[in-house]
Amino acid sequence: MKILAALFALLFANAAWADCPLDLGKGTGWVVFSDHYMIAFRPEPMRIEVGQPFSLLFNVCTKSNSPAELLMVDATMPEHKHPMNYRPTIVAGTNGRYRADGLVFHMPGRWELSIDVRAGEESERLTHDFILK
Amino acid sequence: MRRFLLSLILLATSSPAATQGLLDWSQDEVSAIERHGPWPPPPAHDPSNRVSGVPAAIALGEHLFNDPRLSADGRMSCATCHQAGRDWSDGRARGFGTADLDRRTPSLWNVGYAHWFGWDGAGDSLWAQSIRPILDRREMGGSAAEVGRLLRDDKALACGYERAFGNKVGDNDERLLVDAAKALAAFQATLVSPRTRFDAFRDAMVAGDRAAAARYTLPEQRGLRLFIGTGNCDTCHFGPRFTNGEFGDVGIAFFVRPGEVDSGRLGGLAKLAGNPFNLLGRYNDDASGASAQRTRHVQRLHANFGEFRVPSLRQVGRAAAYMHSGSLATLDEVVRHYSEVSPDRLHSDGTPLVRPLGLSPRQRTDLVAFLSSLDADAPPRPAPPPLCP
Ligand code: HEC
Ligand code: HEC
Ligand SMILES: [Cu+2]
Repeated sequence: MKILAALFALLFANAAWADCPLDLGKGTGWVVFSDHYMIAFRPEPMRIEVGQPFSLLFNVCTKSNSPAELLMVDATMPEHKHPMNYRPTIVAGTNGRYRADGLVFHMPGRWELSIDVRAGEESERLTHDFILK
Repeated sequence: MRRFLLSLILLATSSPAATQGLLDWSQDEVSAIERHGPWPPPPAHDPSNRVSGVPAAIALGEHLFNDPRLSADGRMSCATCHQAGRDWSDGRARGFGTADLDRRTPSLWNVGYAHWFGWDGAGDSLWAQSIRPILDRREMGGSAAEVGRLLRDDKALACGYERAFGNKVGDNDERLLVDAAKALAAFQATLVSPRTRFDAFRDAMVAGDRAAAARYTLPEQRGLRLFIGTGNCDTCHFGPRFTNGEFGDVGIAFFVRPGEVDSGRLGGLAKLAGNPFNLLGRYNDDASGASAQRTRHVQRLHANFGEFRVPSLRQVGRAAAYMHSGSLATLDEVVRHYSEVSPDRLHSDGTPLVRPLGLSPRQRTDLVAFLSSLDADAPPRPAPPPLCP
């Protein structure tokens, strides 16, 4: 909720953000953002199940509206100190759309997703937490 | 505590003597219990195997499973080591073929629901895993040529093949070896373990039927509470089969003999990559490529050294020995292991998932009682009907 409010504040303050299409087709998903980037994403299939491969669909926008590149997607379980047993691959679409295939969360608990993006010279890591039951 | 006592007393006075009572389960615990069912699951389907679920292939597979002519000396079949009367294992701590094997023969119950096969996960499909023992010199020591000849020359098998695959037996031996393995896989995927005392409890809890749930004994309930609670067992032994299908290191010695180690998952990944029958190869019948996702994306990690597949715990009380090496003889020893395991025994400096639990004797018996509630007698198996009468 807090995120949503912050998001709206941001959207209205920055004309460039307003062009960033957040809907990835199913009407739900998550948004993470920093000073420079706003990234919307959702899983496919929509429900992430323990041990089942899934993909993530991304839409990457920059504040300056310059093209951004999704470099890498990875995930770890911080409490358990281990990564995924699988390495996702990234397929680029058009207009900032990306798809990461081959993710598997093989245990219930907290997974921290890291999303590495780059626009021009500067790259940045944004993160998002999932609690898997 | 008082609420627990009260509900116990209420239960004791309101229900027949058969019920022992119900622990005071939290909503979170009920959700955790629910995830270990329902049982049985829907029939397994393997898109990489075009005869998965096909009745004629299942019948052919069962005949091949019992046929010693798949072995070089004509004396060993799959059923020599995976015996129906021994929960599809062999009653030994370690397998024995033409020589001693280094690992325990796993039960084949529910094997159709797995996605990595063997203790090291060297197989990525049930059919690829079924080729391995046919060719392995320490096991059946057979060959594609011999399997091809058998399918062509034996009238009943040739007829069974035609019914299963919809075409006559061809002359490409390697293809026939793969098809034989696919029929073997179709058969093995039908081996689903029976419902257990745990399943009755789980369903009663989900349905809110307290009287039915209270038939599960208090030691079993306390053991289950440990399993999903402080024991953290269900992070790895997850879901209806009590395994997440992946790999872990719980501190079991991996020396095969002095100076020689079983590297577990690390070696398994190397074998997988070098196997022409893996799901990235030409024998995968799934045109969509979805079934090869795991094989395509799996990555080799340092922590894989000394990791073994998390075993399913269904029918676990019936095993002759435990762990990949058969090095623990009883469930009590397994529980003692988890209670006392020294962090130095873990082969990687990684995850704090396994730590000595320091269980009391009563907690140990509770955990064993719970694990023993995960098995039940399976109905005896009738001999398969003739292939082409
Ligand atoms: C000599 C004894 C022996 C024979 C014969 C044998 N197996 Fe096995 N089987 C084993 C052992 C030991 C393993 C564990 C192998 C490993 O982890 O590397 C195993 C593993 C398996 C697995 C993997 C199970 C799992 O849970 O991942 C399958 C499937 C299997 N065997 C099927 C077969 C089939 C089909 C045949 C006949 C073509 C057969 N086996 C013949 C001993 C045997
Ligand atoms: C880190 C993941 C993990 C956790 C946590 C874990 N296990 Fe295991 N378990 C395994 C693995 C991996 C094996 C097989 C190890 C081997 O063969 O070397 C195993 C083996 C077993 C076996 C032997 C099954 C067989 O067929 O050989 C039993 C029983 C068992 N675990 C029960 C438990 C209990 C009870 C707990 C909680 C106290 C627990 N496990 C916690 C991963 C885990
Ligand atoms: Cu974890």
